[in-house]
Amino acid sequence: MSTHRSSDPLERFLGGPVLWIGLLAITLFAMGPFLWVLSASLKTRVELYAAPITYIPTHPTFQNYVEAWTSRLTPFSRFFANSLWVSSVTMVATIVISTLAGYALARFRFVGKNTLMLVFLATQMFPAVLLIAPLLSQWYALGLIDTYQALIYSNFSFTVPFTVWMLVGYFESIPRELEESAMIDGSSRFGALLRIVVPLSAPGIAATAIFAFVSSWSELLFATTFTSQTQMRTLSAGLLYMAGQYEVQWGQLSAGVMISTVPVAVLFIFLQRHLIQGLTAGALKG
Amino acid sequence: MNQQATIAVPAPRALLSRGMRETLANYAYLLPVAICLGGTVLFPILKAMHMSLYHNVLIRPQDYRFIGLGNYVRMVEDPTFWLTLKNSFIWVFFSVSLQFLFGFAAALLLNAPFKGRAFFRTINLLPWIIPGVVVALVWEYLYQPNYGPINDILRRVGLMREPVAWLSNVDLAMPAVIFTNIWRGIPFFAIMILAGLQAIPDDIYEAATVDGASVTQRFWHVTLPMLRPIIVVATATRIIWTFNYADLIFVMTSGGPANATQITSTYTLLQAYTDLDFGYAATLSVILLVIMLVFTALYLKLTKGVESVAG
Repeated sequence: MSTHRSSDPLERFLGGPVLWIGLLAITLFAMGPFLWVLSASLKTRVELYAAPITYIPTHPTFQNYVEAWTSRLTPFSRFFANSLWVSSVTMVATIVISTLAGYALARFRFVGKNTLMLVFLATQMFPAVLLIAPLLSQWYALGLIDTYQALIYSNFSFTVPFTVWMLVGYFESIPRELEESAMIDGSSRFGALLRIVVPLSAPGIAATAIFAFVSSWSELLFATTFTSQTQMRTLSAGLLYMAGQYEVQWGQLSAGVMISTVPVAVLFIFLQRHLIQGLTAGALKG
Repeated sequence: MNQQATIAVPAPRALLSRGMRETLANYAYLLPVAICLGGTVLFPILKAMHMSLYHNVLIRPQDYRFIGLGNYVRMVEDPTFWLTLKNSFIWVFFSVSLQFLFGFAAALLLNAPFKGRAFFRTINLLPWIIPGVVVALVWEYLYQPNYGPINDILRRVGLMREPVAWLSNVDLAMPAVIFTNIWRGIPFFAIMILAGLQAIPDDIYEAATVDGASVTQRFWHVTLPMLRPIIVVATATRIIWTFNYADLIFVMTSGGPANATQITSTYTLLQAYTDLDFGYAATLSVILLVIMLVFTALYLKLTKGVESVAG
């Protein structure tokens, strides 16, 4: 965009000092809160509540992590396992459901197909609070309170509409001729979908999978409402429960925050290219 | 009719049955999505509409009865509901406009060519992926009056003398939660606008430069017009999302102090959680849905139908 050797002094100013000061400012703003919590999670109890607050722990310790992970009141090891299970199953099921639906919408002619696409678009914008009361009474009636199923099914309400919508776009971009020649060679339509279309749309499917995993991992309201036992809480619900205790343990809470953040942060760092391409593709075509 | 009769018509029976078979097979692909969204979205929404017509407070089951539009009348007469609408407007307006402004600036910075750009991009976009409850608790800690670093830094710099209880001060609580939401939302706009910037072909800039356009002229006459579609999409989805978003305020202040940060979506939650008034909570959520649908319809009209969004 802006070349380094420009004769325009304004452009050189923007590409030089403004760029570096701006980058420094936004990076500090984005990372500051994480650095504070990381530092707090490594402090001793005495240092956490010391009068002039410190920014770098004087005697760094992993005690808060050990306590949070093994605590009986707020067992983060259990919360972590619950989050991992709920998010993974939601992710796999979401991919299966939305691959089938996305393929059908991309390839077949239906009465009211555009209406259906609009419904998927509108559903993405539904407020989660709308579903809390009716889903609670529904899961209660079905005896699913304090089960993984209730959380997984509820997560579909926000993962599936978006992933279907994203995958329709991907499948439409794959030429029909490839499947058609496979079908002429004797493959069934479903076989052609599995062997031709799915491998070709792997980047799109990967992006939707990360989306489904990360948004389930972050989900709070369903997880808090549809579970009552400590053993069934996810990380988000467990953190909220911990913060609601009569005395907030900032050290353990900071450790819990790091435990909840690191997995998605690592996923993001390694897979951000796929994720960002997938998420912005729909909007860019507009 | 006569003219049509001259056109050759294939045997209708065989074609119909084969077509029927194919159609049924095609609909089978949609069966899982129909069951899944029927059970977790469609049926619950109908159920919420049904619930909104009943007096339904969980701790008083003996009072459960049909009251028609009673809950809606109560809502119109409820001054707190109108206050939450006003708060929602403030929450959405300041959150989205400032997220957009800073997100745009961040995207321009992260689009410039410099060493280590990939690294800076990753760490600046990171807040986008962090769970809402984590964001809320981290900022609760930052705002904490005695052990929080914000008060400490402001006092060390000399901008403040006494520690301030940001989240329990009626005048400061809303700006404080909005500020947190801005921090959280900047990466979303940065990602969208960055993608838009990368999609602008380089030769347009080169042609503009050859024609003697300055850097500001290129921004106003090339960058902005080219980004218009993505700005519209990103802003509209963000407005809806922020209007519906309850996690942050719910965790940080529960809408307090004295409803200073109570937006309509957190008010709906509190009706269900604290007052266990599911009838009224359902009523408020139906109204949230109506507001959302009206806005989505306007947005789709603005972007001329789903095609331009769906591509």
